[in-house]
Amino acid sequence: MTPALDLADRAAAVRAAARSWRRAGIIDDAALAAVESGFPDDRVRAGRVFRVLLFLFTVVAVSGVLGFLASGLGGHEQAQAALAAVAGVALLALTELQVGALRRRQGGTEAATSLLGIGLLLAAAAWFLLAARSMDAAAGVPALCALAAALAGAAAWRWGYPLYAALGTAAALVALAHLPAGRAVWIALALAAAPALLRLSESPRLPPAHRSSAMAVLLAALGGLYLAVHVGSWDERIVERIGGRDPGPASPAWLSSPSSPLSPHGSLPWWLAMAATALVPVLVLAAGLRRRRLPLLLAGAVAAVVSLATFQHYLRLEPAWLVLTGGGALWIAVVLGLWRYLDSGPAGERRGFTAAPLLTDARRQAALEVGVAVLTLQPEARGAGDEHPFEGGGGRSGGAGATGEF
Amino acid sequence: MNPDVVLAIPTLVESGALPPAAAPRLLRIARGELVSVHAELRALLYAGVLLLTGGVGLLVRQNLDRIGPVAIATVLGLAAAAALAWVARVAPPFSWQEVASPNLAFDYILLLGILLVAADLAYCEVQLGLPASHRAWHLLIVAALAGLAAFRCDSRVAFSLSLTSFAAWRGVALADAATSRAWGAGAREDAAGAWRWNAIACGILFAGLGLALAHWRRKAHFEPVAVHLGCLLALGGIASGIADPAWGAALLLAGAALAGVAYRTRRFPLFAYGVVAAYAGLTRLLAGLFHDAALGCLWLGVSSALMIAGLLAVYRRMGQMGRMKEPA
Repeated sequence: MTPALDLADRAAAVRAAARSWRRAGIIDDAALAAVESGFPDDRVRAGRVFRVLLFLFTVVAVSGVLGFLASGLGGHEQAQAALAAVAGVALLALTELQVGALRRRQGGTEAATSLLGIGLLLAAAAWFLLAARSMDAAAGVPALCALAAALAGAAAWRWGYPLYAALGTAAALVALAHLPAGRAVWIALALAAAPALLRLSESPRLPPAHRSSAMAVLLAALGGLYLAVHVGSWDERIVERIGGRDPGPASPAWLSSPSSPLSPHGSLPWWLAMAATALVPVLVLAAGLRRRRLPLLLAGAVAAVVSLATFQHYLRLEPAWLVLTGGGALWIAVVLGLWRYLDSGPAGERRGFTAAPLLTDARRQAALEVGVAVLTLQPEARGAGDEHPFEGGGGRSGGAGATGEF
Repeated sequence: MNPDVVLAIPTLVESGALPPAAAPRLLRIARGELVSVHAELRALLYAGVLLLTGGVGLLVRQNLDRIGPVAIATVLGLAAAAALAWVARVAPPFSWQEVASPNLAFDYILLLGILLVAADLAYCEVQLGLPASHRAWHLLIVAALAGLAAFRCDSRVAFSLSLTSFAAWRGVALADAATSRAWGAGAREDAAGAWRWNAIACGILFAGLGLALAHWRRKAHFEPVAVHLGCLLALGGIASGIADPAWGAALLLAGAALAGVAYRTRRFPLFAYGVVAAYAGLTRLLAGLFHDAALGCLWLGVSSALMIAGLLAVYRRMGQMGRMKEPA
């Protein structure tokens, strides 16, 4: 990132904080104006809605022009690949121009051109490797993934897009899965990189976008770690499948023998995977609690839910309705208990956590909650004259009770 | 954690922009020494409600014969009554204005109670013939119940459930907009037409309700829920007929009208709905003129570039570069 962009992002972070203070009534309009003049914005930005619109129409415009040009090339694949490569480079240059000289940030168009540029370069590379050089998938896919990781990583570094950092990490993991010990590499790299990434995500020396990118890489790496140690992934040899290899037996033949007391689900590696499936969410949650980092807490919570579902599957806990109802009731009770615990602490906080909204944007949160409710609680509509025999099942989302399935 | 804000706060205190008394707490928040999990706890509560009601649905379906209808209806009724009794106990006094939620769990326990009542009603409708009908009347009853609860308890979530239940009673769900129910052809054209008109009617009704609430200042903060859902339903209904150029023209007109009104009132999400709908309608109308794919691509490329230029001009004209340019 250029120093100017770094400064602009740092000033934007302060202005955003000041707006949250204004919403909370801590400062008045005059103070907000003073902060905004003290940390001025030299970038051309767009509001969230316009940003989405500009992104959308940029994607359509570029795709339309490329489609028109490609149709002029007939079915000549080499020319189309060359067009994709040229257009990819041009779009990346256009992104640099927008972010640099034109000072665009959060404007929609530069995000679209960067995404399309990377995608087109990858498409051209895919044609070159897999069609022109007739490389087989076993060699071509890791090379493509490595290129994707490099492009996405460079874009994240240069323009500060955390999403590219996460996608680049995921692409690198797919490339590494093609190594003979891909699963072990996933585990070792995540464990080795996690402390450094966590420190980087908090480092004042890094630009805000790079701090966010470090957290994005950490979350992607932890996702890889969890997938590598997960018992279901071990059973299904998912990492090996991602690596394009014949998965083979889940464990050595002498362990997998049906007559062996250590049959597949009783082997030592299997039990280690089972233990790791339980342990990883706990460790991530513990790290999130210790460092008070919400992304880690959320990742740990998601992993914990997946682990619980995994144990339910392997331990064959039945009946399902009791598991769901009991789990839901227990879940609600735990959340309410946690809320009470935090709320009853000195000044409504415990160990640096509070259930109070603090600087939350209440309007935005309300809109988000209603949006989620509309999407997940839509009762299943019935046409006129439909018969409606009793079906139960808890609604389309699995949670809407009996709003429409009956 | 925000190191840049940590560095800025002392400067802001010195310059007088930030009250010194507020600085220590804001510094703690910026350093990550004080973290709010308010939104996360609410999200977890919502997930718990979904899990529990999903389990109830399975319980009813899997144990219908073993437990018996009366027992199931009674258990569901008691569970719903318990949830709603708690809500009634802690609910703040009624007001037509926005009322702060008494606690973090209030909205979601209310939602749980309504969903359990819905399950019980639907079950009774089918098993006990109460209220027997060939139409899913329980959806209308749930819509009314959720609407009453929404107004009494000032719950936007319950209000959204009320609207979607009403739409479902009319045979409309947003999720159906992408299915054959809405886009059906041949033998399903009648059903698709019924879906379309119901969607449009529901959309107009919801948008009208929202505007009325805002006009009469009665739970005016519910207006965005009703207007957004109404616009999406109406535009989705019109768009479902886009195979016919006449509906393409209707989509162009409706989208342009919505974008125009939203532009004047600075309702940016509604402006976005209108612009996208109008563009889709115009593209549909012109599609008949393009006899090969290359021309179609050229149209998309050129028209989208013009849209970008137009949007940037509109953005500048709205004079929002200051207020709107940098959302949090």
